[in-house]
Amino acid sequence: MTLHTASEGISFAREMEEATAGYYEELAKRFPAHAETFNAYAKANHKFVANVQRTYYGVITDGIEGCYAFRTLEADDYLLDVELGGDVDLAGAVAKAIKNEETLVAYYKEAAEQSKGVMHDVPHAFLMVAKKKVARIDELKALAAG
Amino acid sequence: MAVLDEPIKEVKVLKNYIDGEWVESKGEIVDVVNPATMKTISKVPISTKEEIDTAVQAAQEAYHDWRRTTPLARSRLLFNLKALLEENFEKASRIQTQEHGKCIDESRGESRRGIENVEVACGIPTLMQGYISEDVARGIDEWCMPTPLGVFGVIGPFNFPWMIPLWSIPYAVATGNTVVLKPSSEVPNSQTFLCELAEEAGFPPGVWNMVHGGRTVVNGMLDHPDIQGITFVGSTPVGRDVIYKRCGETGKRVIAQCGAKNFMTIMPDCDVENTVSGMMTSFFGNAGQRCLAAANAVIVGDDDKFYEDFVARVVDKVKNIKVGYGLDESIQMGPLRDEAKKQNVLKYIDIGLEEGAELVLDGRDFTVQGGLPENCFVGPTIFSNVRPESRVGSEEIFGPVMSIMRAKDLDEAIRITNENPFGNGHSIFTQSGASARYFQYNVVSGNVGINIGITAAMAFFPFGGLKDSFFGTLHTQGKDAIRFFTDTKVVIQRWF
Repeated sequence: MTLHTASEGISFAREMEEATAGYYEELAKRFPAHAETFNAYAKANHKFVANVQRTYYGVITDGIEGCYAFRTLEADDYLLDVELGGDVDLAGAVAKAIKNEETLVAYYKEAAEQSKGVMHDVPHAFLMVAKKKVARIDELKALAAG
Repeated sequence: MAVLDEPIKEVKVLKNYIDGEWVESKGEIVDVVNPATMKTISKVPISTKEEIDTAVQAAQEAYHDWRRTTPLARSRLLFNLKALLEENFEKASRIQTQEHGKCIDESRGESRRGIENVEVACGIPTLMQGYISEDVARGIDEWCMPTPLGVFGVIGPFNFPWMIPLWSIPYAVATGNTVVLKPSSEVPNSQTFLCELAEEAGFPPGVWNMVHGGRTVVNGMLDHPDIQGITFVGSTPVGRDVIYKRCGETGKRVIAQCGAKNFMTIMPDCDVENTVSGMMTSFFGNAGQRCLAAANAVIVGDDDKFYEDFVARVVDKVKNIKVGYGLDESIQMGPLRDEAKKQNVLKYIDIGLEEGAELVLDGRDFTVQGGLPENCFVGPTIFSNVRPESRVGSEEIFGPVMSIMRAKDLDEAIRITNENPFGNGHSIFTQSGASARYFQYNVVSGNVGINIGITAAMAFFPFGGLKDSFFGTLHTQGKDAIRFFTDTKVVIQRWF
């Protein structure tokens, strides 16, 4: 499915953030030693979406190209795997989290690139989230490495 | 992708809001129909002469106390309103889509633009300050101060049910006037909701009134001796021949913002990708139903390859526009507001063909997403080889129709543009500063866009067109609005 409008692009980001937040909450339950970290990630996901939405609501006007924000943003290119298998260990679970975060980073970067000429502050908000997620990926890698 | 919930779930008969009370009208009741689904979403009264008179009387009585309320206190109520508007941003946006048909991104944009006017009017304690000269003669001081006038009438159009009354009302009440609003009877739910929020914000009874209706209400406003001025947005024939003329006859101030035929000049050095993106919203946003919508694309130069490549890119993009119900987040263009407006667009497509224009993309042959009734839908339409003096090239269509024409150079593009009787929002797309400056200097237009397709002024700038697009002197929004809603009193003082 191709995403064109700002509204659907942001809704799609929200769906992904909520799905991965749910995944982190599951990790927190499964691996109590790291619960604080995983719960913090889940909470931050909601903040990321809130920041993007706040930016969008702040700049959207009748003169902005909100209905034509993206050209070829394919939702199917950004599929997540948020199923936590029954026998997965910490390294495996974290590897999946890293893959999901990389998918999200790719999404935000592409969304920013495609909308940079028409959506003003929103692409910047996408890139800010991507930056924070890159830092999170490093943290996850460190966690997996023990 | 998600289809958002409709905020209006129950069909109710809307009431007038007069003197702080919600009052049933004795007038005829008509249906308000969602143009995307063709379902009745509410019923609106066509109020009587007596009802508009009652509202004006209430506004006149409230004025005496309201003008004595300090600007700071008035400003605080506007801050209250601003907070409520933010809190209800999404609901207000969805109401617009449900009753008008525009896409949710467009409605949210409209909500934001409306709120911005409230934000600007919040600065009334400084915006309304006068000025003073000490010792204009020895021992004599002189100052001037803006003072409110009384009751103002605000007549809203159908195309921006939420935003356009907010170009006027926040400034009118901030400056100490009272208002009577008549929303468009086609889209009365947005302003009804706004009135509810104004009531919640704490505006005293009689300061902010609303009377639903049609011609009787408008005539009642125009003829009423207690109404000091009118702001109107609508067609040129009504704005010029009725509103402007009658306000002149009855000594009222007037802002009449009217029709348009906006030209977009495309220079061969433009950034093609961003230009084409910018054209989409400008030509097809709000299904072309806005006074700042581009109607004519004037492609400059004799480079046939550039022309053909550019048109091909535009057509390729336009033919993929998703048409459907605006509460579906994936939709890029909604319906026209009603069936009569659709018929008008179809009539112009026929006229274009009769005039010999080439129909590159036929909006009569398109798909509505979601299996909706097609009553009010027309697909995006593109004509090429349009003559500027033809009816399709010169008259306001108010629908999703792009007319493409060519000009040999920038001078010719400007000449073509200026020969049109309207002058609302013309724009140029170029990478040349010299071309841009030459265009903005020479084009006769109230709003000029440089690499901007929708030349909508922010709330802190005045908004209004020139030529047949505007009748009046001062404009809505910003400092012009402050001047429109105030008179100037000059005091000269000496003490013995």
